[in-house]
Amino acid sequence: MRTPWRLVPRHLRAHWVRTGLTAAAMMVAVFLLCFLMSIVTVLEKAVSESSANRVVPQSAVSLFVELPLDYHGKIAAVPGVENVAKFQWFGGYYRTPEDFFAQFAVSHEVFFDMYERDMRLVEGPNGPVGASGLSADEVSAQVIQAMSDNRRAAIVGQGLIRDFEWKVGDLIPMQSVFVPKADGSAWEFEVVGVYEPLKANFDDRTMFFRWDYYEETCNNAGDMPATGVGTYSVTIEEGYESGEVAARIDALFANGPQRTWTPTEAVFQATFVAMLGNVPLFVSTIGGAVAFAIFFSVVNTMLMAARQRSSEAGILKALGFRNGVMGRLMLAESILLSLVGGGLGVSLAIATQEPFRQMLGAMLPQYAVLNETAMIALGVSLLIGVIAGIGPAVTLSRLKVTDALRSEG
Amino acid sequence: MSHMINVDNVTKRYERGGEVLTVLDNLCLTVDQGDFVSLMGPSGSGKTTILNCVGGIDTVDAGTITVNGEDVTTMPQRRLPDWRAQNIGFVFQSFNLVPVLTAMENVILPLQLTPLSRKERKAQAIFALEIVGLADRMGHRPSQLSGGQEQRVAIARAIATDPAVILADEPTGDLDRENANAIMELLQRLNTELGKTIVVVTHDHVAAEMTKRILHLDKGVLERTEVMGTAAAGASAGAASGTAAS
Ligand SMILES: Nc1ncnc2c1ncn2[C@@H]1O[C@H](COP(=O)(O)OP(=O)(O)OP(=O)(O)O)[C@@H](O)[C@H]1O
Ligand SMILES: [Mg+2]
Repeated sequence: MRTPWRLVPRHLRAHWVRTGLTAAAMMVAVFLLCFLMSIVTVLEKAVSESSANRVVPQSAVSLFVELPLDYHGKIAAVPGVENVAKFQWFGGYYRTPEDFFAQFAVSHEVFFDMYERDMRLVEGPNGPVGASGLSADEVSAQVIQAMSDNRRAAIVGQGLIRDFEWKVGDLIPMQSVFVPKADGSAWEFEVVGVYEPLKANFDDRTMFFRWDYYEETCNNAGDMPATGVGTYSVTIEEGYESGEVAARIDALFANGPQRTWTPTEAVFQATFVAMLGNVPLFVSTIGGAVAFAIFFSVVNTMLMAARQRSSEAGILKALGFRNGVMGRLMLAESILLSLVGGGLGVSLAIATQEPFRQMLGAMLPQYAVLNETAMIALGVSLLIGVIAGIGPAVTLSRLKVTDALRSEG
Repeated sequence: MSHMINVDNVTKRYERGGEVLTVLDNLCLTVDQGDFVSLMGPSGSGKTTILNCVGGIDTVDAGTITVNGEDVTTMPQRRLPDWRAQNIGFVFQSFNLVPVLTAMENVILPLQLTPLSRKERKAQAIFALEIVGLADRMGHRPSQLSGGQEQRVAIARAIATDPAVILADEPTGDLDRENANAIMELLQRLNTELGKTIVVVTHDHVAAEMTKRILHLDKGVLERTEVMGTAAAGASAGAASGTAAS
């Protein structure tokens, strides 16, 4: 099965305009495919990686309605509840409101235990893990100690460290829209630790600080006392079913003063995703249509190439190459073209991950092109190459030498 | 003595809309080893058809063709490509060279089907290009060559594998007088100096007269054989006339 493979790159180069345009079209299509698939997978991953043993009691009316503070003790007393943490959306901003990131006041005494599988502390007051022989456990202990020693202590995600060039020990002034201080001065937080998310649904651009600092500051301000909590976060004791415990919590408050709705974290995440509604489907449909159209452009390119290739097929066969030679060359050409275009598309998608993550910001903080996504996109490129090349390949292989030589060159 | 090419009672028909067209009609002809023959005849007389059948790229409906002792008409389809690679060198009127390859690469093409090493192929290709006087153009693409040069590269490609027979279908058809003569002189040299057996289809009398024998075809039948200038043909004239008599 001798095949003069060098003809493949030669033909692609000889028709470089056509090659370039087709590869560019493939690139755009595959980039689009990667982008859309990444959005969908990130959304799905957020739901699937949610902790099954955590439930999130919140107001049955709306996320914007607070739950009473005394629910904390009542929830903690429900059988099956292991830990309860208050979560309060702070809604502050650093420097300008455009520098958006999330901040939560949390019950720091239990927070680290409850979220040990979602994040890892990578830097504490005495330096990052590994520096001067610091182990991960030591860093964790130091951060937790610093949190309990210092009322203004806060931990921040690596994303914030990167974006704002903060360091452990920095004092971060924050203005709050919801709870401004009476004298108009900024709230101050001291960075005592840096965390790295362990799950895709855990944002790396969030600040967590002490609930008691929040509560006291609000109360001292006078006109904005802390009267409630946005959500509670509850971990379920082993051996209990999260759905049952959630139902028990909801039953407890069925008669007020505030009715609760206690979804599992997965459901909670899913409702966020559902808020996007049919957008992913809609976008995927458009993307699919574009990819399909571009697939036809590759097919067309190969058909055009094949028409010009029949006299060459005749020459090769007359010289003694086997019938399949031109078919193999066409198929290789088509696959190479598709893979080059598709490869560029995947590379572009990977190269633009970071800017897209910034652009999509809070909506999709975990936007990333997964390896699976890249592999699928390359697989699709390969498939397009095969399908586009197979027709011309078969035609040229079947062509009789005498007919091939009679055709226009 | 057996002939290099023996066409025995070959018939080829095409059916067109119920009408049967007999292109080759019980055709008999022979070509000896070392012969240099031209095929002439009106358009549609079957010249290209018989040449293609001899070269194993077309099939016959009846009769046998032996080339270099092997029966081409009964050879299995899958063996034909290899047989062609070893025995036949084709030269066509046009569409000859692969446009995206250089002269050198075009000549190397058929050598890729041989067991030669990469280096040997290259040496062989250069040798073939030297024979046709184009070794200095080996890096040129067909589009950078003149028509005459292109045809010489095609001839170099046809002889590169040292095949038993060279079949040329109107190799001078697209060329002016001067270039046509140069090509015919080249074929003549391949015949006299290298002893190649060559069959040339041509419409050009001047070209045909440079060969040893002219076979006149008409309506798929060998009408007559003309033996050229005995002075130039020398010793081979005897063999040629003997063949013609058969
Ligand atoms: N595939 C085909 N189908 C039908 N008829 C064909 C086919 N190929 C050749 N013919 C016919 O066979 C006849 C002989 O064709 P051939 O090409 O051998 O002629 P030729 O002598 O080479 O002519 P020319 O000098 O014009 O090249 C012609 O009448 C041609 O129309
Ligand atoms: Mg012809």
